[in-house]
Amino acid sequence: MKTPFFLLAGFLTASALAQDIPYREYEPFERYEPIVSGDLMLSGTYQHWKDPANLDFRMAGNPDENWKLNWKFMDPPFNQTVHGGHFAVDRGERLFKQLDVYGTFASCLSDRSGSPRNLRAGYPRWRADLGRVAGLEEVIEHCGAKQGRVLQNGSYDNSAISIYLASIGNGQPINIDVTAGPMKASFERGRRLFHAKAGAFNFSCASCHTHNIGKRLRGNVITTIYGDVAHYPVYRTQYMLQSLQLRFAECNLDTRTQPLRPGSQPYTDLEVFVTALTNGYPISVPAERDW
Amino acid sequence: MRLLLAGLALLLATPVWCADIPSDAGVDGGKTMAPQIVVNSGRLEWAPHKRDLTRWLTLSYQDRRATPEPTRFDMKLPLAGDKARGKTLAWEWCIACHTLPGDEWPGNVGSPMVHYKQYKHADPLIFQQIFDARVFNPNTVMPAFGTFGLLAEQEIRDLVAYLQSIE
Repeated sequence: MKTPFFLLAGFLTASALAQDIPYREYEPFERYEPIVSGDLMLSGTYQHWKDPANLDFRMAGNPDENWKLNWKFMDPPFNQTVHGGHFAVDRGERLFKQLDVYGTFASCLSDRSGSPRNLRAGYPRWRADLGRVAGLEEVIEHCGAKQGRVLQNGSYDNSAISIYLASIGNGQPINIDVTAGPMKASFERGRRLFHAKAGAFNFSCASCHTHNIGKRLRGNVITTIYGDVAHYPVYRTQYMLQSLQLRFAECNLDTRTQPLRPGSQPYTDLEVFVTALTNGYPISVPAERDW
Repeated sequence: MRLLLAGLALLLATPVWCADIPSDAGVDGGKTMAPQIVVNSGRLEWAPHKRDLTRWLTLSYQDRRATPEPTRFDMKLPLAGDKARGKTLAWEWCIACHTLPGDEWPGNVGSPMVHYKQYKHADPLIFQQIFDARVFNPNTVMPAFGTFGLLAEQEIRDLVAYLQSIE
């Protein structure tokens, strides 16, 4: 009498488990090096922008060539005009000094070690107090909340503090270690997510930024994924001040994918992945980008 | 009996995950929200996005929905497409990647569509390429406009008629 029950139970369990693994598609996986010179094996444009002090500005004026500079010619000092990024740095400095009167804000951000100058270059990192890998903006929100200040991840004030902290570390190479522990796990998840197809168009990040670099989407030329984090948060001519994770949200909307909230685990993993691909490239803020 | 209950519980729980929009998605009231930056504010505002995108897969780890699988569609002849409507659709949907005649800023991620008539492709083949190109190439980046519900059958027929008319 019991046998049919077990058969039924087994069948139901098996069907439930079979349903548990939904069908997914991935862009063919690519090898990436967690250092910015790895671009030489991806797009090869690194030779044109590896030295920010010696960019070939003749290329910047040529619409067929400017993408090969990875738009680094819009990093400071790209011209004498003061753009919104500079205002954000000023605002960030004021906010940071307000919050850091007793030094508690800086020590919270740096987890009681090191100078605020070294923060941008070393984030995202494992935060034992939070129990997870966190980006700088997420930690700014966390440490602001400790003092009762609302600094939501992705908001203008949060990104302003982040861009101020980056500006006092200008010139330092990005340096995060993804060779071991939770950072490595996060990097690997981010790498996988970078190739995961999603949204109405079934695009992954890698659909464009790995296998179609240098090709045109009407007026825009697709650039490499290496070296981009050095100028974030960035002043966007169409978007005010934008943190890296809000850029992911905008990328998602552009490719008709439902965006996630900044600070969510997938976006943090993607941030770890693309930050590792900027390892070794000097921070340069406030920068401006049209796209 | 315990196994049966466990199986039932799993079975009942699974469709709930499948239908659910993940909690870390920027969704409010079941609609896609876009983040809005407010200058000199510590709050991030969210406003309704011009398109609702909640029905498609997100990058969230909680998202248990499946990607629609590659689907073959048997297009019945005759084509009965309107090439004028097809041109309007092509300049809306195809032009970012494909070069169309008359475009000053051609995209080149996809193959150029100029002189398309010369290839003499069969109508059902072009229809399938637009409906779901993954049938021909599993690694294609071309969106599956039919399978993902972006274009209706008649719209794809109009696009085929337009492509077949490009001298």
